[in-house]
Amino acid sequence: MFGQILVSGITAGAVYALVALGFVVLHRGTRVVHFGLGDQMTMSAYLVVIAQVFLDAPFAVAILFSLVLSAGFGVAIERGVMRPLRRAPLLVMVIATLAIGAALREGLRASMGPLPWPVPFLLTPAPFTLGGLVLVPANLAVVGVALAVMLSLFVALRFTRFGRAIVAVYENPTGAAIVGISVPSVHARLWGLSSVLAAIAGILVAPLITLSPDMGTIGIKGFAAAILGGFNSLPGAIAGGILLGIAETAAGVYVSTAMKDIISYALLIGCVLLLPQGLFGRAEPRKV
Amino acid sequence: MIARLLIFAAAAALVALPFFAPSHIVFLVAMIGSTSVMVAGLTIVVGFTGQISIAQASFAAIGAYGTAQLATMAGLPHWIGLPAIALVAAVVGYLFGLLSLRVADHYLALATMALCAIVQLLLIHLEDWTGGAVGLAVPPLAVGTRMLTRPTELYAVIMPCVALTVWFLHALSTSRLGRAFAALRMSEVAAAAIGIPVLHYKSLAFALSAFFGAFGGGLFALQTTYLDPAQFGILESVRLIAIAVIGGVLNPFGPLIGSAVFVLLPEAMGALGRYMSLVFSLLLLLFVVVSPQGIAGLPARLRARR
Repeated sequence: MFGQILVSGITAGAVYALVALGFVVLHRGTRVVHFGLGDQMTMSAYLVVIAQVFLDAPFAVAILFSLVLSAGFGVAIERGVMRPLRRAPLLVMVIATLAIGAALREGLRASMGPLPWPVPFLLTPAPFTLGGLVLVPANLAVVGVALAVMLSLFVALRFTRFGRAIVAVYENPTGAAIVGISVPSVHARLWGLSSVLAAIAGILVAPLITLSPDMGTIGIKGFAAAILGGFNSLPGAIAGGILLGIAETAAGVYVSTAMKDIISYALLIGCVLLLPQGLFGRAEPRKV
Repeated sequence: MIARLLIFAAAAALVALPFFAPSHIVFLVAMIGSTSVMVAGLTIVVGFTGQISIAQASFAAIGAYGTAQLATMAGLPHWIGLPAIALVAAVVGYLFGLLSLRVADHYLALATMALCAIVQLLLIHLEDWTGGAVGLAVPPLAVGTRMLTRPTELYAVIMPCVALTVWFLHALSTSRLGRAFAALRMSEVAAAAIGIPVLHYKSLAFALSAFFGAFGGGLFALQTTYLDPAQFGILESVRLIAIAVIGGVLNPFGPLIGSAVFVLLPEAMGALGRYMSLVFSLLLLLFVVVSPQGIAGLPARLRARR
């Protein structure tokens, strides 16, 4: 039983971890928390469906189409909304990102209808048993892809020019600007990167749950995972996601499935109130 | 002077409205009224005090479900039940405010968002208390043995509450409390340094927002006569924020103006109705990008008006 919880929990957790990474990658560099990221997950999943159903694209092309458009969308948000607002109070930025999320959700509801759409699985959803555990290839694919994405993110941040510029801005934006790194263009990259992470999470999770305009509420789970992980630590975001997935699945088994979501939201509030620096983050001194 | 005349003219028109307008219009104007009361709470917490709250729909739900169930289960008439549940909501809001001192900015936004999600899930899962996903019928407002169900009758109940709300916002903005809220908005640290008890005042702002949210929610329940948990989610909270922002968060008439736009525009758009939510989200975005000063740090505009 416990092993089974672990397996299902890690599947959900891998998706939460990707979304949490999306939040943290963006927040560390830009100080913005993007409240519309969950709805961008929905958008990207819909883009796959649109490419497949309306443009007759093969699966791989449809995914590429969705990822490219999602990245472009992220960059467009930075250029069109966040750059004009960069000196605005945080409250204004929060409301702007909320509005972006709401616009996406309502745009999808109006254009694609409120009913769920079928999304193709990466691998077959038919389960098989291995050593007493029920495994689902579709779920294993989710975990595998998530792992690959995380690995390549860390490699990119450490070894590429693209990633090292991002790390430099993380550490010290002024210093980065002095050595010739364009901070605004790094911000645009971060928005694109965060959008792609959300897009991958959205495409992975859409077949497992139902793809409807309201799928974006799953983004809150990503928040919870990011907060558990401290909101400024990338490995923390992954650990937070996996922990949340396992805790939620365990709650679903031992308490009740109806209470599952309530428990994870309560965990979020509790963590915000009692442990604002998370399990893996460091406390940041507040400037007056 | 001109502004004052305009206000009197508008008030006179609102008093005269039920005598000549068709009942459909009267219903819509009363709907603007009840929405504006819910939004007034946000004007206090977001506009005056500069704290983000994505839980306003939850407070509206407490008011709506509370007054309906107090009437159904306890037999309490609405004119007692509605103010009572609004006070209960205010206490909940105060306690939530106490907790929120520990967090600020986007952490507060996350916490209120999670609260909103929890309340909506509770509305769906506590079926014995809330009717679950199916919804809940609201018993009509009774005065003595007479049931007030016609639009004009509800209008006569709701609009005085709206007038009181507008008056309260105006009085608050020029009061000692309102100035303390403004100080919090501009700088918490500076406010604490000049002796404003930050924790208490922030909590008071949340208490007031919860009170108006619940009161407006209760009035809304009387009008719609049927409650559905889908009406009280995060999206509704965002919609209420949009109304507050577009109406103007430092003007006592802001909630009324915003609600008028949000209630009347879908009526005017007719067949384009399903794009309305999209249009409003984009409007909200446009407002914060083009005039971000419309939300926070408005001392300059406030001074210019004096």
